[in-house]
Amino acid sequence: MDDVDFDDLRLRARRMRATCIRMAHDGREGHLKSTLSCIDLLLALYGTWLRVSPDDPRHPDRDRFLLSKGHGVTALYAALAEYGFMPPSLLDTYAQPGGALPNHACRHALPLLEISSGSLGHGLGMATGMAYGMELDGRGGRVAVLMSDGECNEGSVWESAMFAAARRLDRVVAIIDNNNMQAVGRNDEISGGMPLDDKFRAFGWAVRTIDGHDLPGIVATLRGLPFEPGKPSAIVARTVGGSGVSFMEDQMMWHYRSPSAEDVERALAELGVAPLHRATP
Amino acid sequence: MRRAFADTLVQMARADDRIIFLTGDLGFQVFDAFCAEFPRRYLNVGVAEAHLVDCAAGLALEGWRPVVYSIASFLTGRAFEQLRLSVGYHQLPVIVAGAGGGYIYAPSGVTHHAKEDVALMSLIPGMTVTVPGDPTEMAELLPQLARLPGPSYIRVGRFGEPRLDSAEPIEVGRGRCVRPGRGVAVLTTGGAVIPAVKAVDSLAAEGIEPLLAHFHTVHPLDLSLVNAAAVVASTFIIVEEHGIKGGLYNTVAAWAAEQRSPVALKRLGPGDELVFGNPHYDDLLRQTGIEAGAIADTVRQFWSPD
Repeated sequence: MDDVDFDDLRLRARRMRATCIRMAHDGREGHLKSTLSCIDLLLALYGTWLRVSPDDPRHPDRDRFLLSKGHGVTALYAALAEYGFMPPSLLDTYAQPGGALPNHACRHALPLLEISSGSLGHGLGMATGMAYGMELDGRGGRVAVLMSDGECNEGSVWESAMFAAARRLDRVVAIIDNNNMQAVGRNDEISGGMPLDDKFRAFGWAVRTIDGHDLPGIVATLRGLPFEPGKPSAIVARTVGGSGVSFMEDQMMWHYRSPSAEDVERALAELGVAPLHRATP
Repeated sequence: MRRAFADTLVQMARADDRIIFLTGDLGFQVFDAFCAEFPRRYLNVGVAEAHLVDCAAGLALEGWRPVVYSIASFLTGRAFEQLRLSVGYHQLPVIVAGAGGGYIYAPSGVTHHAKEDVALMSLIPGMTVTVPGDPTEMAELLPQLARLPGPSYIRVGRFGEPRLDSAEPIEVGRGRCVRPGRGVAVLTTGGAVIPAVKAVDSLAAEGIEPLLAHFHTVHPLDLSLVNAAAVVASTFIIVEEHGIKGGLYNTVAAWAAEQRSPVALKRLGPGDELVFGNPHYDDLLRQTGIEAGAIADTVRQFWSPD
């Protein structure tokens, strides 16, 4: 992995967090807990793994990335701005009526997105359809879906997991942001304590459980895809809600709360880096 | 009609290599020919309606033209959110085919009754909603739906329905004036057109000549035919195998309210109630007035040729 500049990735990780926090403040919409927990996963995807180019974002052989946990969309916007898919100034318009960046991913507002999302449990099914269609077309691209652990409460996830295994869709990778926090409860308590990796394994998937904030570990895991030929892959990424900002980490209230000006100031001081965009007059 | 659906599907798949068929574990032996000729374009996803629709949406995003098939009550009800969001919100050209819409599965009980399929599908913006009245309409409409830019619903009847006797063209979004007439207009959708033709033809001997307008497409409704009927008739008798809410009657009633139309509306069809007792399909249709005798009686009741 000598080709990866991890110092650069770590700087971007802090900057993406700062960017998301400013967006959450300015847009008065945040889901910061769920956003900050998946920053490192998105960085590893966009910075080292996804074969998709800002010069030709609809290339038919591109890798598809689907944000199924649509409430974490500021993390995706920040990643897209970090990697040149849109100008950072566009981030200033987050959550503004009529703008390109609503607070749940909308493909009509921002056509470079693969899907619109906001209701949980649809991304994996759509990913399997895309993967099957790409297989019929003889295309080489892969399909990555970022899901939340709370999303795995949805029965449709398991319908789609069954199909992906039955059809041996090994170009599909489901990445589960396992921050063990939902809107009002802990994932392991609500779901009966059976670990997500065991569940996916029982459905015929090849599974790895990793530290979702260890960038070298994430990158190495992505490079091992598919984990087993003929099986879809799941990465259960253990993460911390609100990761990277001490007073937000593992705090349930940051699911909905938008940060005050003081919160932003404190968080940016901790992160030690300016957001990508300006906003906040 | 189910045979017409399966046969037409094979022809469509031959003509268009982007057609792909997904079933929610329904149609034993019905799609054998399709499966034999296009094994990779036939997917049984299992008893998983939510996945059925999400998967089809993913295929459509990749440029495929999916046709999804399951029992109408399960497909339109259970997978409603997938249809509303993955298909509707994304504005994808997915054909949703609901087998046994209405009360075709009457003896199977309330779980299988689908008197709200048209209503549910009509709630989704951009959804074209069709209820063919006979196998010919199925064969003509299905390929047209596959050429629409957006999603569509088609109710698939049973096997062996009679053919509708009409030379009127069959075009999505266009009603068919099956019998010209005056005074009273009988408006139908779906299989109700068959007893309606029988009723109207039987009345000719009495000098009673109602207009018969048939709407295989409920949304968007052909308002030009509705308006034309209102010019010659003072009463509409709407016959449909669907609940009161959200079907043809409801749509025409909304038109009448907006137009401040003086046309009187009378409806024949199932009520807003659960049907217990596992009745035979034909008996249930009779009980709800979807039967030639009941339609003829209702026309007589409202007949005024001026």
